[in-house]
Amino acid sequence: MSRPKLLALLCLAVAVAPAVAVEPRPLAIAIHGGAGVIDPHKMTPEGAASYRAGLAAALDAGYAVLERGGTSLDAVEAAVRTMEDDPQFNAGRGALLGHDGDAELDAAIMDGSGPRAGAVANVRHVKNPVELARLVMDKSPHVLFVGEGAEEFALQQGVVLVPRSYFRTARRLAELNEARRAEQAGLRETPSGGTVGAVALDRAGNLAAATSTGGFASNHPTGRVGDSPLIGAGTYANNESCAVSGTGHGESFIRQVVAYDICALLQYRHLTLAQAVREVIHQKLRRSGGEGGVIAVDRSGNIAMDFNSVGMFRGARDSRGRRDIAMYRDAQ
Amino acid sequence: MYSIAIHGGAGAVPRAMLSEQREQRYRAGLEAALDGGFALLERGGSSLDAVSAAVRILEDDPSFNAGHGAALTRDGAAELDAAIMDGRQLRAGAVASVRHVRNPIELARRVMEKSRHVLLVGAGAEEFALEENFALVPNRYFRTVERQEQLECEQRGQRVSDLVPSSQGTVGAVALDGDGNLAAATSTGGMTNKRPGRVGDSPIIGAGTYAKNGVCAVSATGHGEYFIRAVAAHHVCAAVEYRALSLQQAVHETLHEILAALGGDGGLIAVGTDGQIVMDFSTEGMFRGARDSGGRREIAIY
Repeated sequence: MSRPKLLALLCLAVAVAPAVAVEPRPLAIAIHGGAGVIDPHKMTPEGAASYRAGLAAALDAGYAVLERGGTSLDAVEAAVRTMEDDPQFNAGRGALLGHDGDAELDAAIMDGSGPRAGAVANVRHVKNPVELARLVMDKSPHVLFVGEGAEEFALQQGVVLVPRSYFRTARRLAELNEARRAEQAGLRETPSGGTVGAVALDRAGNLAAATSTGGFASNHPTGRVGDSPLIGAGTYANNESCAVSGTGHGESFIRQVVAYDICALLQYRHLTLAQAVREVIHQKLRRSGGEGGVIAVDRSGNIAMDFNSVGMFRGARDSRGRRDIAMYRDAQ
Repeated sequence: MYSIAIHGGAGAVPRAMLSEQREQRYRAGLEAALDGGFALLERGGSSLDAVSAAVRILEDDPSFNAGHGAALTRDGAAELDAAIMDGRQLRAGAVASVRHVRNPIELARRVMEKSRHVLLVGAGAEEFALEENFALVPNRYFRTVERQEQLECEQRGQRVSDLVPSSQGTVGAVALDGDGNLAAATSTGGMTNKRPGRVGDSPIIGAGTYAKNGVCAVSATGHGEYFIRAVAAHHVCAAVEYRALSLQQAVHETLHEILAALGGDGGLIAVGTDGQIVMDFSTEGMFRGARDSGGRREIAIY
């Protein structure tokens, strides 16, 4: 065989090799930035572009972790932290302010291998609650810390606390003032919630979920805790079934144990992920008047994002080339 | 058919360490709570009222780790958690980390009935209590000499003596009433020497407390962190509803397979839609009682 021919054959072999090699295990991540947050009729083109950019940044930050071989746990934490630092989402920096002008933050993270979990509720001086939730999981034998006890734990772990003013952005202060005026005028303010969350599957087949929120607006009492930091309600991950993060009317999610119920339907009734999500969001939750949505991913890397509200800010990306960002029903 | 089951905590108290006198005290406390709850069912009261009454009696009894006599935190204070759930409409109420509410189960019920929320924590929960005309009590109301000794023992690194129910104790009740409604309630002071702010499974709907008409009502006690990760109470109901397991199989699987695999121990009481009572545990004992309209009435520890 002549040298050029041999070279050509070698080149062919190299070119064909990836096609015959076993397809790598799938990577997948999905994120949400809240359901029913903003009426599409009130959304300006600039506002929409800004939200899309925020979602894209979080999605890509999480996916980058998966792509370089990182864990789903690190990916969901990175995605949620990105949204916590973005003031337009109701979590971290942009948390809604309560009646007294303070943000009360909740977060949870769950590692589907184990499963292990960590959560914090009702903290007021923690810049990135999802990081503190992760520390609770990694560095304490506990799952849930609330209030000052959670902040004491943060200090013991070397977390730098921030003053309450960190969360008082101009936009949230203006919203709070408007809410107070509406309250004085006897108008019942429509609660505008919103939550951020992420679910992911990594190369090793591990599932993870994380959720973070600043809660509801000023007409809610201090100390109110929604579904986000409650394992099984707003956040759940188990390598044997799926990973789920919810957003919406927290009380309904708690009563229905939404995140766990989706995984139980998948595992025990053998529904597909999309079917399980649909049954819980459009049947069970809707029957009880609960508005909201979830993002979920299963062991095969299937992603489901569904909601019964006007919209849900969301994004999905996987190793099969999917990458989309959407806000309302028509995938726009 | 109507029935009620209660627990006063599951723990690793070796049988030999429980004095007869102390055992009599626990049995009397369990009887009072069981009969208090059952009396309501007998008069045609709701399962919700029955579990509230039973848990309130256990909260007031200093022998049990809830309300008066609650286990103390690292700082020597009582921090209380409670939850209640009405299986009829899946309504629920819960409070966590409160320090001045005499009967946390009553506040949990008020959260369910008078607020739009399910879970209130800390000072915000106490603010709500005041708005609802609860008289708050000083934290020392909850502290007993025995609990203080128990805390000191733990802090010296000694194993707790015969001060039972152990540091993982909790109280709870589940009931089915004559109208077929299920309810569950759980209340606790948490772990002895716990970090302030630590919340276990008791006030978490789906973990330590769950009730759904037509399926089951469950109250848990044990190592709370494991019950949270396993979403234990809801797992029992999901196993009954989705896999048609018997209540007994569902409880057994949750305790001896799922929780055991995670490394957590404790106990569960559950009542089914037919009034059948299941009480099971993976610890050495669980303070418990069961009574139904068929004439069953029993109190047991081991």
